[in-house]
Amino acid sequence: MTTNYVELAKKIALDKRSRVLRSMVLDALEGGGRGHLGPALSLLEIVRALYDSVLNHDPTNPLLASRDRFVLSKGHGCLGLFTVLADHGYFPTSELQGFCGFESNLGGHPERATLPGIEFSTGALGHGLSVGIGMAMASRLRNEKWRTYVLLGDGELNEGSVWEGAMHASQHQLGALTVIVDFNRMQASGDIDSIVSLAPLVAKWEAFGFEVTEVNGHDVEQLAEVLGNSRKPHGKPRVVIAHTVKGKGFVSAENSTAWHHKAKITKDEISSLRAEVAV
Amino acid sequence: MRQKALTTVYKLAKQDPRVLFIGSDLGAGTLQAMREDIPGQFFMEGISEQHIVGFAAGLAQEGFIPYINTIGTFLTRRSFEQVSIDVGLHCLPVRLLSSGGGMVYAPLGPTHTAVEDFSLMLSVPNMKVFAPADAFEMENLLMALVDDGDPHYIRFGKGGETIVTQDFSTFELTPKVFGERSSQVVMFTTGVLLQHCLEARTNLMSQGISTTILHFPYLNDLSIEQVVSEIGSAQLLICVEEHVPRGGLFTQILHEFAAARISTKNLYHLSLPSKFSHNYGSQVDHLDLNGLTAPKIASHVERLLVISEK
Repeated sequence: MTTNYVELAKKIALDKRSRVLRSMVLDALEGGGRGHLGPALSLLEIVRALYDSVLNHDPTNPLLASRDRFVLSKGHGCLGLFTVLADHGYFPTSELQGFCGFESNLGGHPERATLPGIEFSTGALGHGLSVGIGMAMASRLRNEKWRTYVLLGDGELNEGSVWEGAMHASQHQLGALTVIVDFNRMQASGDIDSIVSLAPLVAKWEAFGFEVTEVNGHDVEQLAEVLGNSRKPHGKPRVVIAHTVKGKGFVSAENSTAWHHKAKITKDEISSLRAEVAV
Repeated sequence: MRQKALTTVYKLAKQDPRVLFIGSDLGAGTLQAMREDIPGQFFMEGISEQHIVGFAAGLAQEGFIPYINTIGTFLTRRSFEQVSIDVGLHCLPVRLLSSGGGMVYAPLGPTHTAVEDFSLMLSVPNMKVFAPADAFEMENLLMALVDDGDPHYIRFGKGGETIVTQDFSTFELTPKVFGERSSQVVMFTTGVLLQHCLEARTNLMSQGISTTILHFPYLNDLSIEQVVSEIGSAQLLICVEEHVPRGGLFTQILHEFAAARISTKNLYHLSLPSKFSHNYGSQVDHLDLNGLTAPKIASHVERLLVISEK
């Protein structure tokens, strides 16, 4: 029987930690008065699982040589990453409220030069996979153990450069490379299927030489188990297709193009959202 | 020049495990010796310039020094966003080795002629842009700047150029001066057009016209202040470049003249036109058509001198 991941992602209840992280996202959103809410919420459990359970990392030493590398290629989902990094102590949580401010370290897309824990500056889509392939190759060339994780948006898969990278990752058999697709089935202007269908997504990645695993992208335990599986440096690279819900956790924002990005967010909207994640 | 550049990368890679070579579907047998000798430092990737530049940025972020080689138009036009963001924004030591600068690939048509490469690359913050004149200068450049932490764009000529920089045994970022210090004419040039300018200078000297040539292998900062005396005493200043009129050497000269409050009254410009050519033929055919070969440069200078004396 085929697993209905869409339904699982929709139905799974968020635990207390996920609700707390969402309230921190709202702190940033309120401070900045703008931001990409929907894209940050679909990936929040993925990033949480990575930093809580999977990645070798040290918030007190963000450039630890042996750290696993994580590249958020879908840079516009940065509110999710910023929140998890702040929660782990990479920088004070109070900085979240300065989001998008003139002198803030937190812009609308992640920047390596300004914020500890950001592996690579992203924002223009279709860049992170190739950069991550370079990092994974560097680890192999030096016979090091660290792994590379790259998180792509599903809309980002429209970019041809992603598939250039996929072919090369497979050609080089970068087994220590894990690609994660935040498959929320929406992009800025609507349903993915009404714009450029990705189907058959699993078969596509398999055809590009990847080992494919599907997960419920809001199930933290499942994410931690799958993403934490040991990998050999030589072998098929893998992709984890994480079925998610855009705007997960806020009824008014779920599957809403209006909440993909808002440049002006009212206090009433923030209050209404806060009520949904009260803990 | 290309051959010397690639063999120099091989030499550097032998000495330094950080140095990598990345080709994009280059001709069969390219750097075969390196491929066999140090295969871990040699990559021949597919026709995917966007990926390759990002790949190189990831490697450079981890401490490697990747030298990418492919046709200049593909490096600059196709992968511009990767060059700007992955390499420029992160200020990574990725080296873009650009085959076929200017009209080298004229027989292959406008998709292959890199006539606006200086302009594109000079617009990228942190990118250092170089155009050596011959294989000797190319080798010196690569050897001198291997440890430089910034990204580089290096334009190649066709190859087989006469060595004219042999009197400059080390590579400096400052202009190379050819000729007397007080001349009637000062030519500004870069890349392989130095060869044509030197020949034009010989022609002009035979007419009794003294000429100094300033060659700028490094285009970001012309160090004009170091050659003010040459410029100040000249009757005629002329910039000669194998590039569209805007965004290249001439634009850089204008910026530095303005900053140094140097008059542009006697400054002229010879360049490629601001259009895509629909002729083929050879590089020299196009240089000649646009007045960039030695006889045309010399006769143009003679005409301008007559005008300036009126």
